[in-house]
Amino acid sequence: MSRLYDTIEPNVIDEKMLQKAVEEQGPQEELGQLAKREGIDYKDVIELQLDFRNILKIDNLWQFVNLTKLQLDNNIIEKIEALDSLVHLIWLDLSFNNIEVIEGLEALVQLQDLSLYNNRISKIENLDTLQELQVFSIGNNNLTALENVVYLRMFKNLRTLNLTGNPVCENEQYSLFIAAHLPDLVYLDFRLVDQNTRELAEIKYQYVIDELKQGEAQALAKLVEEQAKQKELGHHKAAYVEYLNGSFLFESMYAEDTEAARLAYLPGMADLLETYKSKFVLICENLFAYGLQQHEMRQAEVSTFFECLQEAVQDSQQQGTKIILDFESDNQGQLDVIQNMSNFEIAESKLIKYNEDISQLSDTLMTLEMQTVDQLEEIIKDFERNIADQVSTFIENVQGMMAQCRDLENHHHEKLMENAINTLEKIVKSEFDEEMPDDVRLLFVDKDTIVNAVNASHDIHLLKIDNREDDIITKANSWSSSVIEEVHKNEISRNRNRVREVNQYIDHLQEELDNMESLEQME
Amino acid sequence: MEVLREHEEEEEEEKQIFVISNELQDLEDKDPIVFLQTGLTHLNLTIEFDWSSIDTSQLPASYKTNSAKEQMLLQLADNFHRQYAHLCPDRQPLFLHPLNECGVEKFVSTTVRPTLQPYPELYNWDGCAQFVSDYLTMEPLSSPITPPSYLPSPTTTLKYQRGNCFGFSVLLCSLLIGAGYDAYCVNGYATREICMMDETREVCPLLEKSKKVLKEPVKEKVKKYAVKPPRDLRSKFELQQVAKKEADIEAAQKKKQKEEEERVMEAEKPKPDPLYGLRVHAWVLVLSGKREVPESFFIDPFTAHSYSTTDDHFLGIESIWNHKNYWVNVQDCWNGCKDLTFDLGDPVRWEFMLLGTDKPLLLLPEEEEEELDKEEEEKGFDMPSSWVDLIQISRKEFETRCPQGKKVIQYKNAKLEKWAPYLNSNGMVKRLTIYEDPECFRVLEVKDWFENREDMMNMRQLNKKTEVTTEYFSPGHIQGLKAHTYKTMEPETERTMEFYSETRVDGLQKRVENAKEMTEYFEGRSDFLHYRHTMFGRRIKRAQILLINTESNARPIVQIKEQFHRNPEKPADEDVAERIFMILEGRIMLTYHCKDDYITASKKEFIKQKDVDNKGNKIIMTSDMCISYQVGSCVKNKKLLHLYEMMLKLMEAEKQLKHQVWESETEVLEILKIREEEAAASKLTVSMYDTERNEKSKQQRETMERLMQEERQRQVEQDLDYLAPFLIQMGSTEKMSKWQALRLKEDCLNDFKHRLIDKANLIQARFEKETQELQKKQQWYQQNQLSMTLEDEDAYLMYCSDAMFCIRILEIRLNRHKEMAPQKYIELEEKLCKDPRLAEYLKFNV
Repeated sequence: MSRLYDTIEPNVIDEKMLQKAVEEQGPQEELGQLAKREGIDYKDVIELQLDFRNILKIDNLWQFVNLTKLQLDNNIIEKIEALDSLVHLIWLDLSFNNIEVIEGLEALVQLQDLSLYNNRISKIENLDTLQELQVFSIGNNNLTALENVVYLRMFKNLRTLNLTGNPVCENEQYSLFIAAHLPDLVYLDFRLVDQNTRELAEIKYQYVIDELKQGEAQALAKLVEEQAKQKELGHHKAAYVEYLNGSFLFESMYAEDTEAARLAYLPGMADLLETYKSKFVLICENLFAYGLQQHEMRQAEVSTFFECLQEAVQDSQQQGTKIILDFESDNQGQLDVIQNMSNFEIAESKLIKYNEDISQLSDTLMTLEMQTVDQLEEIIKDFERNIADQVSTFIENVQGMMAQCRDLENHHHEKLMENAINTLEKIVKSEFDEEMPDDVRLLFVDKDTIVNAVNASHDIHLLKIDNREDDIITKANSWSSSVIEEVHKNEISRNRNRVREVNQYIDHLQEELDNMESLEQME
Repeated sequence: MEVLREHEEEEEEEKQIFVISNELQDLEDKDPIVFLQTGLTHLNLTIEFDWSSIDTSQLPASYKTNSAKEQMLLQLADNFHRQYAHLCPDRQPLFLHPLNECGVEKFVSTTVRPTLQPYPELYNWDGCAQFVSDYLTMEPLSSPITPPSYLPSPTTTLKYQRGNCFGFSVLLCSLLIGAGYDAYCVNGYATREICMMDETREVCPLLEKSKKVLKEPVKEKVKKYAVKPPRDLRSKFELQQVAKKEADIEAAQKKKQKEEEERVMEAEKPKPDPLYGLRVHAWVLVLSGKREVPESFFIDPFTAHSYSTTDDHFLGIESIWNHKNYWVNVQDCWNGCKDLTFDLGDPVRWEFMLLGTDKPLLLLPEEEEEELDKEEEEKGFDMPSSWVDLIQISRKEFETRCPQGKKVIQYKNAKLEKWAPYLNSNGMVKRLTIYEDPECFRVLEVKDWFENREDMMNMRQLNKKTEVTTEYFSPGHIQGLKAHTYKTMEPETERTMEFYSETRVDGLQKRVENAKEMTEYFEGRSDFLHYRHTMFGRRIKRAQILLINTESNARPIVQIKEQFHRNPEKPADEDVAERIFMILEGRIMLTYHCKDDYITASKKEFIKQKDVDNKGNKIIMTSDMCISYQVGSCVKNKKLLHLYEMMLKLMEAEKQLKHQVWESETEVLEILKIREEEAAASKLTVSMYDTERNEKSKQQRETMERLMQEERQRQVEQDLDYLAPFLIQMGSTEKMSKWQALRLKEDCLNDFKHRLIDKANLIQARFEKETQELQKKQQWYQQNQLSMTLEDEDAYLMYCSDAMFCIRILEIRLNRHKEMAPQKYIELEEKLCKDPRLAEYLKFNV
């Protein structure tokens, strides 16, 4: 696109430009004077207009974190960039620039009005995060593919769309296609989409749209299902018993065990494995149920604790508020009275009294806080103890169940060993007449080999069980310590805040008093 | 009792024969009227109303005679009574067949006439009872210890609006059975208060406070981690001493109070009644089962109160009856009605008179026997249908309620007056006067209830002690007024106005005023304002007090305080909780809401200063103009710019607030004015559905009908009067001379002739015009025939045929006119001669 101003030097957004723009567009007259004297924080700017400035590159806008409206139209910008910090942006105008690709808008999730009019864009893309979008203007660009517009279906709030001046508009089906694919659209190319068009479009594209809808519905259902699954898994994970409601652990034991696969060809192994598996899975499921139940108990414990904590804190807060309100209502206008008193001595004595009142208030509040701290400390200790008990019981029980698993494994191992040796003997005596793959047969060359193989398989299984046990124990322990730590941390910060608040308030009162005294002295 | 029952059964059999013989007798004797000696004449009537003097001539025949069946019933009853008297010689004679208003003996069950009334208010027992007690005037029994010897029909009772307890009961019972209740009239004994309708020892039901249900404080479950309360460091002994002292004082007070109560009770105790237990009374028993009545109860028809069947006031029952049967109580009443059971199917407790008409027996074990008996029962004697006409209550009677529309009831320390709606011009329907003393001299409080007032006032309460009046309004007052409490109607005095906040735009709920301040409470506002308090200063005296309503003369405002609820959309330390505008001192104080987890609220105080400092420079904003306390942040104050903006906004708000306060004051004045006008006018509204009273719609309807009638008449006249224009020319028709009549006739005929000629001329002219045009066209056609296209030619031909047709028609019309004209002329002349107004004069001219 040729421009008249091509000869003019391209600009960069710099401090001077921003300063000037902010001042021009900020408060005027008296307010302006004040603002100038104090200086304006870029943080406070809500709207900014940077048009007709021959800006080539967007930059230095990261300070305007609270900006809601940004106008960068009529510049020579070629790339959308450096807008990631402007997360509160609602209105963005980038019309009349030289942009070729839509990009760099991912962070602007609150954007409602986006104008890219008169640029060089050839594809609508990279807008997935802008779910709030209501007005989208992309006229006078190089959009050629009608199918690309279907992308806009994902914006449920989109009501106004401008596509005029794109090559795509020359398509005869253009308006019908859009009306059919964007049924919630109200205005297209500055015109109301009338009922007639909509009906026509609906008839024409019925099948396509139905198919699209079905696809979308399926995707949505899948997503929902996936989320539900994830949620359940999350719940299991929180109870540290994920993947224990079934044969997952058992299968993982055998997954890395190459020897076991070969040993499975021993005669009678199928039955043996089957009984072993069913017993093992039974224990796993017990463990799973126990874990969930314990998790519930822990949650209940924690929520009761927090409820009580909350109550206690609220109680102390209410008391504090009441004390302060009482003080304020008692002393309302006290200062004025003192100030207007003619008798200096009485005034002086009143002042002293007031001073005492303040310090007494400070004492009362601090005592209250101390008391609260004591009370809370006690219940936190209780809680700590209970949680520790619970976790240790849980661990003990888990260990017990895991021991059962191990016993099963040992038992199985013995059986297997016996079987293997029997088989070996048979082979040695050449009494063994069943079919066996060659690599399995290789195991039975001598006793050591077969014993080694069986032992290796056994070791792997035990290791798996040990690992799982350790996993549960570590997680449970770390949870308990983290909960306790958080409670302590919260309590400390609460205490600090309260003390600071009281101090600040007392300071404020004192300051008021001091101000008056100094005034009196001046008089 | 078994003996009696057997007798009864024998009777049944005998009865069968009797019925047949009786019917035969009926056939023989066509006039079975039995004149019975009227017992009324020698009754010692102590009441002013003489029942013997009532007009019985309009009553139907069934009132004056007994049918054969009734005759037999009476004989049956006599038989029953004989046996009863034989078996129970020490009991009072039964109340079985008193005389009715026509002096005929009628069995009591047939006097009950079940009727369902068309009014929804009379569908439930309480409505019925209230109606009966309101509508009738109570007469005491002539002898308090014997049942009356006469019992008028319920229709007569209604007509004369008076009756004794038996009349009341029968009427109420009829209504209740009609409405589907299982109701019975009861003849028994009651206390003096009940019998004499003496409610002076009763607390007025309107004053009874609803008993508060004391809620057991739900003990909160001690939670596992509840904090321990801080240790109590006070001396236990001292606490004990204090508690002891308090307990002593309380006990003393209680004792005193008790003594006082006892004294009052003693004073109020009724004198002992020498006739206690002997006073005869009649009331209504409603049994459980029908109409979802869960438990049987009594209704006293005089007061319309319901009592449980174990109430102390009812001392015994002789007999009960409904429209189907009659039962005698054979249970012992030494303990009042407390031990009675109301299982009427139990023959050991209740002796019935008629078998078979009984309600299903409740004795299940004897079911088999029952079945055997059934065949016998079916042949049993049915209660004859009632001799009383349908009980009819007209809409007007129903509304008027009390006799002459007014009723006064005396309660303990209170007097209740009732009026029919629309009886009082100010719409008063009820007035309750509460007295301080039992003798009813010192008035404590007066409560008036109103209905149908145009200003929607429904209740007014005047406390005589404090002189405070409270008026309550139904929804619909112009200003949404709900209640108004005041001492005087003078503005700027103590008053409270409550409003229906949901109907007001500003959500005002209450406004409390006195000379120095005004407090307004709001509800449901979008800006979360809920409280505004304005303090006024002394008005600067001015010469002209004429301008009362102008802003210039309003009381100067000293301070305005507003409080807001928490707006959940704003962060707490930006959400103002309270703002105080100290207008005289030029200060504005803001208090914000408390943040979560904090105990102090942020505050800001602005001090307005003059715009110009002592050097003449303009001051915009300086840091000492605002003192602020920001909770929980040590960050330096906000920028002056923001503070300045805030101050500008607050100053604007202050200006608006001042105006609002003035508006509130104006509104108060306006309401007072409206109230005064309304009180003076005290107009009543009439529902548009009330065709009787709605004068306006009645008038409207009538005028509409009249107008339509007139319109129709006028049309008829207009059609007829062909002489009218001529008569008008002549002036009055009354004084018409012969000469005038002749002239009128001439004129009329001339005029008609003229019109005929005109018409002929008109047709002629048309005819000529058409002909000429046709000729012209023909000429033009002949000239241009050669140069014409086919289409033009077609058009010409079409035109010609049309024109020819027109001409032909005109010709026909002209000819006919010429034929008809003389005929019409003659017709008119004849008509004129026959015209009643002219005939007299033209008689001889024909």
